[in-house]
Amino acid sequence: MMSTHAKPLTHIVDDDEAIRDALAWLFKTRDVPCETWRSAEDFLDAWTADRRGCIVMDIRMDGMSGLDCSNELRRRGNLMPIIFITGHGDVPMAVGALKRGAFDFIEKPFDDNALVDIVQSALAEDERLAEQRATQEDVAHRMEQLTTREREVMGLILAGKFNKVIADELNISMRTVEVHRARVFDKMGVRSAVELAQQLTLAGLYESITPEADSDA
Amino acid sequence: MPHTDQRAYATTPAWYWRLPSITLGLMLIGIIALVWMTRHFDDEKQRETLINDVLWMEQDLRFRLDRNEEYLAEAGQSLLSENEVSAKTDARIDQLLKPDTGLVQIQWLDSEGNTLGGRPYASEDVSVGETRGALPSTEDARLAQAVGRPVYGAAYPVLGDKWRFNVHVPVFTGSRYVGTVVGVYSMQHLVVRELPWWFSERYRVSVHDADGHEIAAKSKVEAQPGHQQYAIAFDPPGYGLTLKVTAYKAPTRWVPVLLISALVFLGGVIVWSLWQLRQHTIGRQQAEMALREQISYRQAMEGSLLTGLRARDMEGRITFVNPAFCRMTGFAEDELIGVAPPMPYWDPDNIERTRAIHDEILASGAPREGVEIRFRHKDGHMIDALIFEAPLIDATGTHAGWMGSFLDITSQKRAEAMTRQQEERLQATSRLITMGEMASTLAHELNQPLAAISSYSSGCINQLEKPLSDTAELRDIIGKITRQARRAGDIIRRVHDFVRRSEPKRESIDLNSIITEAVALVEADARKRVVNIDTQFAPMPLPVNADPVMLEQVAINLIRNGMDAMRDTTDRPRTIRVETFGEDRQVYLRVTDAGRGIDPEAAKRIFEPFFTTKDEGMGMGLNICRSIAELHNGRLTFEDNPHGGTIFTFSLPHA
Repeated sequence: MMSTHAKPLTHIVDDDEAIRDALAWLFKTRDVPCETWRSAEDFLDAWTADRRGCIVMDIRMDGMSGLDCSNELRRRGNLMPIIFITGHGDVPMAVGALKRGAFDFIEKPFDDNALVDIVQSALAEDERLAEQRATQEDVAHRMEQLTTREREVMGLILAGKFNKVIADELNISMRTVEVHRARVFDKMGVRSAVELAQQLTLAGLYESITPEADSDA
Repeated sequence: MPHTDQRAYATTPAWYWRLPSITLGLMLIGIIALVWMTRHFDDEKQRETLINDVLWMEQDLRFRLDRNEEYLAEAGQSLLSENEVSAKTDARIDQLLKPDTGLVQIQWLDSEGNTLGGRPYASEDVSVGETRGALPSTEDARLAQAVGRPVYGAAYPVLGDKWRFNVHVPVFTGSRYVGTVVGVYSMQHLVVRELPWWFSERYRVSVHDADGHEIAAKSKVEAQPGHQQYAIAFDPPGYGLTLKVTAYKAPTRWVPVLLISALVFLGGVIVWSLWQLRQHTIGRQQAEMALREQISYRQAMEGSLLTGLRARDMEGRITFVNPAFCRMTGFAEDELIGVAPPMPYWDPDNIERTRAIHDEILASGAPREGVEIRFRHKDGHMIDALIFEAPLIDATGTHAGWMGSFLDITSQKRAEAMTRQQEERLQATSRLITMGEMASTLAHELNQPLAAISSYSSGCINQLEKPLSDTAELRDIIGKITRQARRAGDIIRRVHDFVRRSEPKRESIDLNSIITEAVALVEADARKRVVNIDTQFAPMPLPVNADPVMLEQVAINLIRNGMDAMRDTTDRPRTIRVETFGEDRQVYLRVTDAGRGIDPEAAKRIFEPFFTTKDEGMGMGLNICRSIAELHNGRLTFEDNPHGGTIFTFSLPHA
């Protein structure tokens, strides 16, 4: 499920106006929507947690450098992938940044369309991550509505156990298990155990629900 | 010098001065004793002579009296036997009354005592008062008759303050007394007047009565007391008369006086000269002491000096070295003193140069700012020394040699060389850093417009691939591309402007003087690397219109390159030949090394920037040299040296 808060945008942060303008033109010709920022400070001022898209940022800038800006963004919980543009002197720094979670770095002079490709994959990644986060939120929200018993039952269902076995384990009747099962499916918005497992996996919550799954598998 | 010795020198032992003093005292005492003894002896001798003379005189007087007695007695025979005085008797009386007899009157008396006659009949002299013995004295006559011998009466005064005495000579015919002849003696006549001349010259003769009154004297002058005198009883007249003989002051005997005076004077001279000698010696001792102090002071100073000192005579032989010099060269003092050049501490590889410097110093002295020279320590290591020379003027004011002071500047030189190296390295590094920074900045600066251009262009291509292209938009973008291209161009122009700002300042100058300067600058380096620079300049000026600093840079670069190339040269002389000459409206600088040469592969690329055959080189030197040559409308070429090595030729148009 896609977030509806903000449109994904490519944020170009560079202190050189010509570069900003040229990149904006380049992205436009590849139908990549973008927004330009004249400095890291400007960008940080306008940044909100719900922004989507990716960041293309020069490392060497007047004022705050690209690396400092990325550190600040990480501190604030930024989720957008960051692509660094570096001059030849900044390569080791850029590699360090990459290791700390930057999406990519690209060295000047660069193949412009390759940059666009990287930006596009970054956007896709951002979108994927955003969807994952949305699913996660949704599933989490649904799971909050489950009772303790229902959660227990769900765990046993995901472990692949039959209703009879579940009834025995919980010392309840088969009938009661069936009611819980129906309620879990209803509350989680799925029609089958397979779908439930898929949903939890997408949300990255599967393993937290079935801690003992590994031992049984 | 040890201290105790100095003390011994400082004070002379007591006997040193006491002995001559004592000797001198004894000598003076001896002289005084001798003088005294001589005088005493003289006095004795004089006294003896005096006594002798007096005795002689007495004898003479007695003889005269005796003779007169005889004559009186003879005359008496005639006078008393004849009634009339015969002519013969008269003549005899005249004979008796001659002055030399002392008789002044003769009277003759008969046996009764009556005066029979006399001659002269009456004396002019009249006796004073009733004096015993006055003429005629019957008592005396009677006494004479009684004893049958002449009797002398007492002396009596007569008028005129004179004294006389009488002698009564009895006359017998057979045994019958017939009378008496009286002779009247004048004391004056007898004693004084008839004295021989030599006696009267020597002595004062006087006769004194019993009371000591002088009754007759040879002279009125009183004898001085203290003179030698001798008195004897004047007998026969008797009655207490005394004959006193006083020596006149003996004529001063000049010889002994002079002798003694001379002795005294000489003694005085000796004392004075001894005293002078003493003063002089004390002065000398003080001077010697001061000198000794000065010497030890100087020795201490000399010993404490870090500066080496060395004195040489006019032939260059070493006459003195101080401990610091010995320390500097490692040779002991006795290994150096008297040594003539070549000195053992000379650098054996540089004997000729050292000798030249040495000879020049001997001929005219070292320059005020000193001479730098290299010596070899005994253990083999090299010493860099700075020499100052000063003429050595001896005590007589003659120029006797040279005094040199040596400063060991080895560590200073080493430090200098190290500093220079470090500076060079630092300069190279800073040049590198500067160039790196410049390149980095340039790269970044140029990257911006180029990246923008690239992005605009890529965008354009993307857009052109789309079926519906907005030409206006594309034109706008291409306009932007143009602007960015200009921006890049501006950056390039700024760099060029910057470079152009340090373009050469041309002036008309002689190439020879530039190269001389350049050689002087690299000479120290060449010495360090044991490379000989052989210069051969054109005899006439080679005027060029050029930037001297740049040309100097070219020369230094070429010479340094040559020295680098000879780093491993050992089989032939490590010589760099630097020549200048003019030919065909061109001036040339030619630098020939005997190094390893340039291999053909390197030769192709030798002027390329950043091409180098040296580990620490930047590869800019020859490139810059060529640029400078071209800037001056000249050329820089190289060729192989047929004897091994490379020849670089730098040519410029003659101005």
